[in-house]
Amino acid sequence: MGQMIIDVEAFLETGGPVLNVIAIVTVVMWTLMLERFYFFYRVFPRVAEKAQEDWQARDDHSSWGAHQIRRLKVSELRMELEDGLAYIRVLVALCPLLGLLGTVTGMIEVFDVMAVAGSGNAKAMAGGVSRATIPTMAGMVAALSGLILSARLEQFAADEGERLADRLEIEHGGSEE
Amino acid sequence: MSRSIIVRKKVQNMKKWVVAGALVALLPIAAGAQETEPGAMVIDVPQSTSVDDLLEKVRKGFDVQKREDAERVRIFETRREEQDQLLADAKAREAREEARSQALEKEYQEKEVKIAELEAALEQRMGNLGELFGVTRQISGDSRGLMEASITSSQFDNERIAFLESLGASKELPSIDELKRLWYEMQREMTEQGKVVTYTTEVYTPGGIEQREVTRAGVFSVISGGEYLLWDPNKGQLQELAKQPPARFVDTVGEYEGGEGLTGLAVDPSSGSLLAVLIESRGLVERLQAQEGGAVGNVIMGLGGIAFLLGVFKMAWLFIVGRKVASQKKSTTPDTSNPLGRVLAVAQDNPDADREQLELMLDEVVLRESGKLESLVWLVRIVSVVAPLLGLLGTVTGMIRTFQSITLFGAGDPRMMAGGISEALMTTMLGLVAAIPLVLLHAALANNTKKIVDTLDEQSAGLIAQQE
Repeated sequence: MGQMIIDVEAFLETGGPVLNVIAIVTVVMWTLMLERFYFFYRVFPRVAEKAQEDWQARDDHSSWGAHQIRRLKVSELRMELEDGLAYIRVLVALCPLLGLLGTVTGMIEVFDVMAVAGSGNAKAMAGGVSRATIPTMAGMVAALSGLILSARLEQFAADEGERLADRLEIEHGGSEE
Repeated sequence: MSRSIIVRKKVQNMKKWVVAGALVALLPIAAGAQETEPGAMVIDVPQSTSVDDLLEKVRKGFDVQKREDAERVRIFETRREEQDQLLADAKAREAREEARSQALEKEYQEKEVKIAELEAALEQRMGNLGELFGVTRQISGDSRGLMEASITSSQFDNERIAFLESLGASKELPSIDELKRLWYEMQREMTEQGKVVTYTTEVYTPGGIEQREVTRAGVFSVISGGEYLLWDPNKGQLQELAKQPPARFVDTVGEYEGGEGLTGLAVDPSSGSLLAVLIESRGLVERLQAQEGGAVGNVIMGLGGIAFLLGVFKMAWLFIVGRKVASQKKSTTPDTSNPLGRVLAVAQDNPDADREQLELMLDEVVLRESGKLESLVWLVRIVSVVAPLLGLLGTVTGMIRTFQSITLFGAGDPRMMAGGISEALMTTMLGLVAAIPLVLLHAALANNTKKIVDTLDEQSAGLIAQQE
């Protein structure tokens, strides 16, 4: 375990400061995603169930007021479904940008070394090169991992939103939207 | 080899001298022959008084001349004998010298053979010693380079370097003592490389030279007073670092110096190269102070700063509005200090309107409110998109500068190009640094705005319906 921490520290060290930012972004992104998964599979079914029961408990399912109340309910639940998804999306989009930032800062280091030691000293340049390439790679990996799951989450949110609207049935005869 | 050449030259010189000697011996003969000729034409000019006198004088003159001629012939005859004698002598001498020359020639040839034999013997007897000479020079040169670069040089005086330098440069066969010393110095270096030693030596600091107690860990790192020191092989001195490595490495130094028993120490496996690079590297703040991004960099920073400040301001405002809307949702009396309250107030103010009229009026007021809510969000969005584009622009202008300097000075010196390249890279970096928080900020702004607008749009009617 101690060895693992040292390994991770060494990896972060070779990757430079940008890699730390990518690590933080990735952790936040995954936390948000896990929270969403928990919400979707554990919390939301009960919330939806309760909303449906409340709706069923109403006598009036067809008036204008009833329609507006249904719209209110669906909108509130959709908001809950989509809460945080925008952040996940943005964080996924940020990862490659951060990777690019790492590339640039790494290249700056490489050119710094070149300015001091000339272009002949490949050994001295290697530090900057690893700081350029490791964040790029890490950014890509983080973005790909986030991209797949965030697509799944968004699909889920959209589907559940649709299903929710269907579950709160309307008795036709009143005014339609 | 050289010895045989010298000998051969001597013999050749000798031959020359022999010939020259013969020539010098012959010279006086020729010179004597020349000397005798001019005396023959000396005649007294007579003083004439009468024709008879003249005749008498002429007759006397004839007599005198006759006598003189006879005398001259006589002298000549004697001299000729002398000359013949001299010639015979010279010839005899030439023959003698010729014989001697032949004898010497023979001796020379004999000696040449002997020289060749001796040379072969010498080569045989020298055996590996010639090779040893070359190897010694090479090894002492190599060792000198290694030991100069080695941190152990901070512990030992310069004498060993001077010894190795003189041994490497000398043209003579090394003596046994020198060979022993070379072996000793190499062995000492090897032994010392494996040791951790504490000693007092000179350290060059910004304030001047100080005598300090330093600890050398093998050939990797020198530490003193909780800090790493750098060995500069060119100047042959220990230097204080302008910048220390990251804290988690420096922390080990203090433990190591004060520690008993086994403690950890972060070492520089490159024996100082990593530390040297560390001094040269500069942080972001230093770069920004140096305005490495150029004009484009300043534009990016300015735009980014303004957008960020406005975005943060808008965020705070949205947060307050969001809180008010949330509390409005729970209360039945519309409060016109928040958008939802204003929407609900429309319904309350027009209790007589029918549903369709009410919907139209609600739509109108929601549209007006959402316009207010969404203001400034576009700005953050646009700057977050423009900043990387500006960064790209700076990259291009920086590259143009680089290529201009290549046109002027050629591509040989990377230092010449450094300005343009750092501008190119710095603007790209600044663009990204500005864009990343703005993208996040925009996401937050858009999310919060959308929540409030959705509330107004979809829930206002529902809330009214619930209140009825």
